[in-house]
Amino acid sequence: MGMEWYIVRRVAWAAIVTFIIVTITWGLMTAAPNPQVQQAVTQAAMDGENPAEAEERMEAQLQLDRPLHVRFMDYVVGVYTLEWGWSNTRNQPVTAALVSALYYTVQYSVPWTILTVLIGPIVGVYSAANQYSWRDHAATGVAFFGYAIPNFFFGIILLLIFGVQLEWIPIVYQTGVPVFSVQNVIQLTIPIFVLVTGSIGAIMRVSRNEAAEYANADFVKTAKAKGVSTYRIYARHVIRPTMVPLSTTMVGYLLAIFTGSSLLVEVVFGIPGLGRTLYDAVVAQDTNLVLGSTLFFTFVATIGNLLQDLVYTVLDPRISFEDR
Amino acid sequence: MTDEPLLSVEGLTTEFDTDNGVLTAVDGIDFEIPRGETVCLVGESGSGKTVASESITRIVPTPPGEVTGSVRFDGQEITSLSESELREIRGGRIAHVFQNPQDALNHCYTVGWQIVEAVQTHEPDTSEEEARERAIELLNDVGVANAAARLDDYPHEFSGGQKQRVMIAMALVTNPDLLIADEPTTALDVTVQAQILNLLEELQEEYSMSILFVTHDLGVVAQIADHVVVMYAGKVMERGTVEEIFDDPSHPYTRALLECLPGQARSAEGIPGTLPSPIDPPDGCRFAPRCDYAVEECTAGDQPPEEPLTDTHAVSCVHYQQGYDPSTVKTEFTQEDGTVTGGVSGD
Repeated sequence: MGMEWYIVRRVAWAAIVTFIIVTITWGLMTAAPNPQVQQAVTQAAMDGENPAEAEERMEAQLQLDRPLHVRFMDYVVGVYTLEWGWSNTRNQPVTAALVSALYYTVQYSVPWTILTVLIGPIVGVYSAANQYSWRDHAATGVAFFGYAIPNFFFGIILLLIFGVQLEWIPIVYQTGVPVFSVQNVIQLTIPIFVLVTGSIGAIMRVSRNEAAEYANADFVKTAKAKGVSTYRIYARHVIRPTMVPLSTTMVGYLLAIFTGSSLLVEVVFGIPGLGRTLYDAVVAQDTNLVLGSTLFFTFVATIGNLLQDLVYTVLDPRISFEDR
Repeated sequence: MTDEPLLSVEGLTTEFDTDNGVLTAVDGIDFEIPRGETVCLVGESGSGKTVASESITRIVPTPPGEVTGSVRFDGQEITSLSESELREIRGGRIAHVFQNPQDALNHCYTVGWQIVEAVQTHEPDTSEEEARERAIELLNDVGVANAAARLDDYPHEFSGGQKQRVMIAMALVTNPDLLIADEPTTALDVTVQAQILNLLEELQEEYSMSILFVTHDLGVVAQIADHVVVMYAGKVMERGTVEEIFDDPSHPYTRALLECLPGQARSAEGIPGTLPSPIDPPDGCRFAPRCDYAVEECTAGDQPPEEPLTDTHAVSCVHYQQGYDPSTVKTEFTQEDGTVTGGVSGD
């Protein structure tokens, strides 16, 4: 059996994982009191009506009086057919709210991810090739700075300097400008810069250390003895094995920042993206929207881990597909 | 063919700048490799033989290493060449095979990819197809069974001996004049060791190469060497033809090494003491602190100059200088069974 069978099994497993997550979230939601029913009961009590009757009426209205398994099937079908319910605060379907938020998140996430994945390993390997030179020390300094400073704080500082003092960028994100326009590039530069400095540090350090280890490997000596140029040695013989442990760090790290730091950055810069949507939904107790955003982040994480496992097998042929 | 040796090394010195000071791994050694012959560089671990072999084409990392002295290859001084000129010689006219085949191939690429890379590094115009054809031929030549099918296998799918065969095939890609083999059989088990040695001898004939063979194993030396250079702590102790070294070993160090062979007096305990520090080596003969015959003169000044015994045999030992008696060090070899001989190859 080869890689194809492994990929099929791995994708199937990812689907099972998402199903388990969907089931657990449903279980928690069902067990928790429904805010709409609670509200109806409170209202009835205050108006001098029968709270129990009001509860039944509301449950019937929300179709909560059906048997559990029917409600579960309904919910699961809803999740997989993208019918994620109605957002009360946004007055639109949850999916529509998420799509419009995703539109803004993608605008900074895609360039941010590409820059991190490109610059991180390259600078790391370059550092390893020039270990203990001033360039290496400079790169290390930048890495630790980005790693140490909280993203939201760095964002506020930059906003103060470039937005308030120099007035080069708008203080509040302008949703009206076209995606591919100079204004949009200008207003996204700082958020992307903040995120890249935050994510690149760990990746640079990991790739530097891994590459430094491989730079002294016997196979590098073989390549040198074959007459291969130093550039090619790093570009082909060192980067490839370096990417194997790095891909783990990278996917995990990018996902953590995607779900965590991006929220703070969106709040600081006023970008109405996914992180901001989740944040507002939590504050406003919009259950459907919270659930929808959570599910979305879960799917992103599952797909990220799936990609990581697949990338693994391509990068390091020694990883066996048989027993996993 | 000229009489000039293929490779002649003079005053080769390799130093490493370390935090503890300058480490002199190879300290001004001279040797020659005649065309088509095999020279063995012998010494215990840490004697500088590997560094010496890697200093010839400067594959030792520089910095922290620094290589000085003269290396003439086929009439051309190669120490003054630029890095890119050296790259043409590396893997082109001088090829290397290393000690540990387990790690010497990149585990991320197929062996075919790695051999093709060697071909295309030196002949950029060769197409992928031609390079693969050549790789298959070479793998057949070094005895990898079913070569065409194995080309797209990864190194971990080969055994240690097969990997070393792949390494040798890769070294032969450009039909080199000189093959530098650094303990190529040490990491392999004994039966495979013999096969690889036989293979190297056959290939030497077929490709009319010279071989510089680095080893600590005198059994291997006896099998393949034409000439032997005995190194200790970065210096040459003795040099000679293989017959001279085994029948008339002259330096106390050479004699001690031979006594460590199975069946000889020191086979169990080895040579007492350890190698001197390469950062702060002792005055006089490097071996003097461990030598049974050391006299006062042995521990002063520099390593004694090499005293010629024959045209090909020379020894760097005080006892062979004028006014000393070589017979002091040339005591008889006592074998474990009590028989006494003048050399170890005595029948």
